[in-house]
Amino acid sequence: MKMKKILVISLLAVFGVYLTEALFKLDFGRQFFQQGVKDFYLVTTPMKLQVANVVTAIVVNFRGFDTLGEVTVLFLATTAMGSILYKGRHQLGERAVLFSGSRIVTTGSRLLFPAIILLGAYVFIHGHLTPGGGFQGGVIIATGFLLMLMAYADYSVSHIVLSVVESLAGITFATIGLLGMLHGGSFLQDFLPNGSLNDLLSGGIIPIIYIAVGFKVGAELTGLIYTALNEKD
Amino acid sequence: MNQILEIIGMVLLLIGGIFLFLGGLGIFRMPDTYNRLQAGTKATTLGGMSVILSVGLLEPGWFIKTLVLVIFIALSNPISSHALARANYKRKNYPYLKGGKEYDKYREVYQKEEEETA
Repeated sequence: MKMKKILVISLLAVFGVYLTEALFKLDFGRQFFQQGVKDFYLVTTPMKLQVANVVTAIVVNFRGFDTLGEVTVLFLATTAMGSILYKGRHQLGERAVLFSGSRIVTTGSRLLFPAIILLGAYVFIHGHLTPGGGFQGGVIIATGFLLMLMAYADYSVSHIVLSVVESLAGITFATIGLLGMLHGGSFLQDFLPNGSLNDLLSGGIIPIIYIAVGFKVGAELTGLIYTALNEKD
Repeated sequence: MNQILEIIGMVLLLIGGIFLFLGGLGIFRMPDTYNRLQAGTKATTLGGMSVILSVGLLEPGWFIKTLVLVIFIALSNPISSHALARANYKRKNYPYLKGGKEYDKYREVYQKEEEETA
């Protein structure tokens, strides 16, 4: 028994040594890291665009069209989930949360809800200055609504308001793209002044688009959570 | 002045590390959910608060931000563990007690409440 274990361990050790050696020999495209497109982004973003967060600049400015596609994919996914759960949504009031939390939970979530919303808004407004951005801020806002929905049995969110907010945010994104087309010639062209580095009002179209994305993602995920909590099984 | 702040921050960091370690040990060692929640919550509340506060003392520019974080932890951590414990009690997972039922004073009250609502 003991011999067997020792044999297994030593076999594993030998196997592991050879595996690590083989993995170290792969260089995972190191020649592309040494010189390539990353230098362009790392130099251009702070110098020309005046944006501190390089990831945000790539996501919104250099590849804004991809982000529009991502937002569309998220919208389609939430719509699909809503339509799958539609059968359960007939009986509103049949909630998965059957009773309110205790007094401690309800009071605490009333206190924490504005703080969470504030954090989400901070994350997507400062998307071009600090880590984070529209998607992350929207998710934080949705968690705030999730907290309220779980703490109170009778807390409800208006689907109409959510879809209005979502549509307005989407329209803002597309309008900015079209305005760029009018000014510069291509869709989602950066046409606003860039300002100076580390200013709140800087970075051209990035803050506006990220605020729109934040509202859109927050509204979408809140609607998704609300639909899922109202499912009747 | 700066040196004093640094020493206080280091001491707080050490205290926080010790408490976080004890919290992990408690979650590993304790017999049932309530004991584990108690060990985990108390230790991580104090440990996290003192670690974050020590960061604020070592980097005085961030002090206000860390204070806000400490308030957030002081509010959210106990409330969440209270909700977990309450949900666990409502699932009829009663505490593990050596002496038996008579130490669980809440159970009679709770069962009476349950009968009244049912």
